[in-house]
Amino acid sequence: MSQPVNSAEPAEPARATVNYLNHDRGVWSWLTTIDHKRIGIMYLVSVLLAFLIGGIFAMAVRIELLTPDPTIMGANTYNRMFTLHGVVMIFLFMIPAIPGVFGNFMLPLMLGAKDVAFPKLNLLSIYLYWTGAILAVSGMIMGGADTGWTFYAPYSTSTPETLFPVLLGVFILGFSSIVTGLNFIVTIHTLRAPGMGWMRLPLFVWGIYATSIIQVLATPVIGLTVMLVGIEKVAGFGLFDATRGGDPVLFQHMFWFYSHPAVYIMVLPSMAVVSEAIAAFSRKNIFGYKMIAYSSLGIAFVGFFAWGHHMFVSGQSTFENGAFAVISMFVGVFTAIKVFNWVGTLYRGSIVVSTPLIYICGFLFFIVFGGMTGIAVATVSLDVHWHDTYFVVAHFHFIMVGAVIMAFLIALHYWFPKMFGRMYHEGWGMVAAGFIVLGFNATFIPQFLLGNAGMPRRYYMYPERFQALNVASTAGASLLAIGFVIILIYLTFALVRGKRAVDNPWDSRGYEWLSASPPPKHNFAEQPIITQDAHSYQNPGEEVEHVVI
Amino acid sequence: MANETKSESAHGEKGHGGHGIGKYIAVWVALLCFTGLTVYTGHEDLGAINLPLAVTIATIKATLVVLFFMHMIDTPTANRIVFVVSIVFAIVLIIGVFGDLWTRNEMTLPSAAPSTLGPEIQVSGPGESPVPVHHE
Amino acid sequence: MSSSDHAHHHAPGPGEPTLAHHFDTQDQQNQAVRLGMWLFLGTEVLLFAGLFLGYTVYRNFYHEAFHEASRHLSLFLGTTNTIVLITSSLTVALALWAVQQGKNKLAAALLVFTILCAFGFLGIKSLEYAEKFREGALPGKWYHFSEITAPGANLYYTIYFLMTGLHAFHVIVGMCVLIWVLKGVVKGRFSPKNDVAVELGALYWHLVDLVWIFLFPLLYLI
Repeated sequence: MSQPVNSAEPAEPARATVNYLNHDRGVWSWLTTIDHKRIGIMYLVSVLLAFLIGGIFAMAVRIELLTPDPTIMGANTYNRMFTLHGVVMIFLFMIPAIPGVFGNFMLPLMLGAKDVAFPKLNLLSIYLYWTGAILAVSGMIMGGADTGWTFYAPYSTSTPETLFPVLLGVFILGFSSIVTGLNFIVTIHTLRAPGMGWMRLPLFVWGIYATSIIQVLATPVIGLTVMLVGIEKVAGFGLFDATRGGDPVLFQHMFWFYSHPAVYIMVLPSMAVVSEAIAAFSRKNIFGYKMIAYSSLGIAFVGFFAWGHHMFVSGQSTFENGAFAVISMFVGVFTAIKVFNWVGTLYRGSIVVSTPLIYICGFLFFIVFGGMTGIAVATVSLDVHWHDTYFVVAHFHFIMVGAVIMAFLIALHYWFPKMFGRMYHEGWGMVAAGFIVLGFNATFIPQFLLGNAGMPRRYYMYPERFQALNVASTAGASLLAIGFVIILIYLTFALVRGKRAVDNPWDSRGYEWLSASPPPKHNFAEQPIITQDAHSYQNPGEEVEHVVI
Repeated sequence: MANETKSESAHGEKGHGGHGIGKYIAVWVALLCFTGLTVYTGHEDLGAINLPLAVTIATIKATLVVLFFMHMIDTPTANRIVFVVSIVFAIVLIIGVFGDLWTRNEMTLPSAAPSTLGPEIQVSGPGESPVPVHHE
Repeated sequence: MSSSDHAHHHAPGPGEPTLAHHFDTQDQQNQAVRLGMWLFLGTEVLLFAGLFLGYTVYRNFYHEAFHEASRHLSLFLGTTNTIVLITSSLTVALALWAVQQGKNKLAAALLVFTILCAFGFLGIKSLEYAEKFREGALPGKWYHFSEITAPGANLYYTIYFLMTGLHAFHVIVGMCVLIWVLKGVVKGRFSPKNDVAVELGALYWHLVDLVWIFLFPLLYLI
């Protein structure tokens, strides 16, 4: 039962010999690599660094909010802090992380391919990422962007702060995203192993496919939009200047046309990871494969029609307010389909209690609550009250941290042995998971209450009656931070001193586990041929066998 | 020089036929005709029809270029879907946003705001910036 | 955009394509490369879409100014540019056909003509821009064109410069791509067996033409 059912030649014996990590040595071999696995690792280091930076600014914001009056900084600095936090987290972590790290690493392995379709373009994508990241971060630190990550006109076009490097950085990061998406779409279309029809694609691939479609279609619009803001700032002509007959709300339309699908760029890969992991950790065929696959496409599609729900109080027409509200509800339908299918997979499965499973449970809880509060804020009459309050902040953090970052951690732990050939320490994993899940709740549930009570977002001072909840939120954030530090420590330890893992420690039926762990440079010794459906643990009608991993 | 080469080749190849060079020339002629049509109709003041008519003619020209010059007529379906979908979402962007401005309360429209560059502008001469009528 | 990393088993002869290590057949690689190019063209469509949106919105609300301003553009120069681009589209399509027939010399001549058309286009554009600078018909805060006083006129010129500017940038990029293709044709690198790069270069040039097909009537005519 522990042999994979698909027929494939086993790759060379694992890490005792040469693998992608030690195949070529030296920094230069890494910087000029076209190996998707190495590029994935470089993305991993980069996004973790970005997460650290974004997290530091988050703590700065939370510490400032410990008291109703200025605590450690003045108003302008506070504006810069939350701008830094937002820009770094969204453009340097949330959007590139799962596709850049795990998409890059796992996609060719899951497809039975030797690499992505355009390996050199892949290398370009990470260079674009680094360039954009350095420009954006240094631009914010030296120039002091204070507009929030949303860069709304007319403030962004008239603020005295230097925005141009940040805008250019975001523009370049957009290109990185487009290149990655383009690469993945072509890879999925043209590099599938023999026997792998569309309905045998692993669900992670379906999620990455839907994500890549959004990346390719939506990102050019934000590229143009930030370019227009930059031109208006630098050259004095633009489309958003009301004193010259322009419409600032036009900026919001163009901005959110990308930025709403962008949240699905963040969420779809997370859902894709969970689909993979949930089958592995319940050792059961995934429930409703087709529905999960199609609902990924459904979310990508509907996500393009919903952007106006960020603009209910901006001056957008009542008619469009209503239209966008109704359309936004449909996303909930597709998400709910997935949640039911995931729970259906867990039900009567042979559950493997492990760190990833704790994060899976956290994910399910948070995506349901985050999603439901999303439906709530999509209701115009309610959002009029909640817009620009902490209610919205809590909603999107429930999804972005509660769903996406949980999923990132699931991926990191589930695929750790695949990428590095070592196991992390399960005990510490669970301790950290406890800190993270509890800390997360303690951070963001008070924010729902704060927002509902009327505390606005992006304000650094607030009425005294909000202090208790703010202190609770900051305390929760500290627990979160401790959790992340613990993870950093034991994973680093596992990298250098961790127990060597076998090729398939979870006995997962994912195709990526057909190769050695860590994989050799060219992934497979021989072209795998796919003869079974994805996530196949039992034959039809067979009972779930309860094994202990 | 290059012109002669080009017309030479056009005349020369027309005789050979090749595998459809005539097709390219025919499309080119059609494009020029439609260009003439759009220049003529565009300059007449036909009222509200002007914009849809111009866009329709442009769409016909674009379709000819895409189908025949870009060979979309015999390219794999995936490529066609990609291009068509991108056009569809470009249209979604335009309609979605325009729909907002079309259904907004008149007073909140950009054209309702007093512009500094309306009839009350005083322009001194070339190279000088206009004097804005409002406060700073 | 062909990702030829290293020779498959032997060094390719002149005019033979290189097969990248992760593709099994040349056909598979060609299919991938073409799909990649169409995806890229899709992103370009969406890039310009935002500016077309700006045009649509502001034309609707500043109808008078837009109408007047389009009358002030040189119809002659605009039409000439349209004919130049359409013809260059023809010649680049013919150049691809020529490469597929093995007629590299003809292909090179056609590509040279296409590139000259591109230069011509840019030349005419600079004439028009120079005229605008003289008149004061400039975007945003630089606008001081006394002949049009309807509100929103400066927005017309903002849109004009943004759209034709972005388009001209793409013309320049397209020219560079075509020069690179020309080099390959002249050196014999491209042949009936290895014509995908020429096809991709031509596709990009056609996109440049496509954008102008819409820009021309919207800015110059109505």
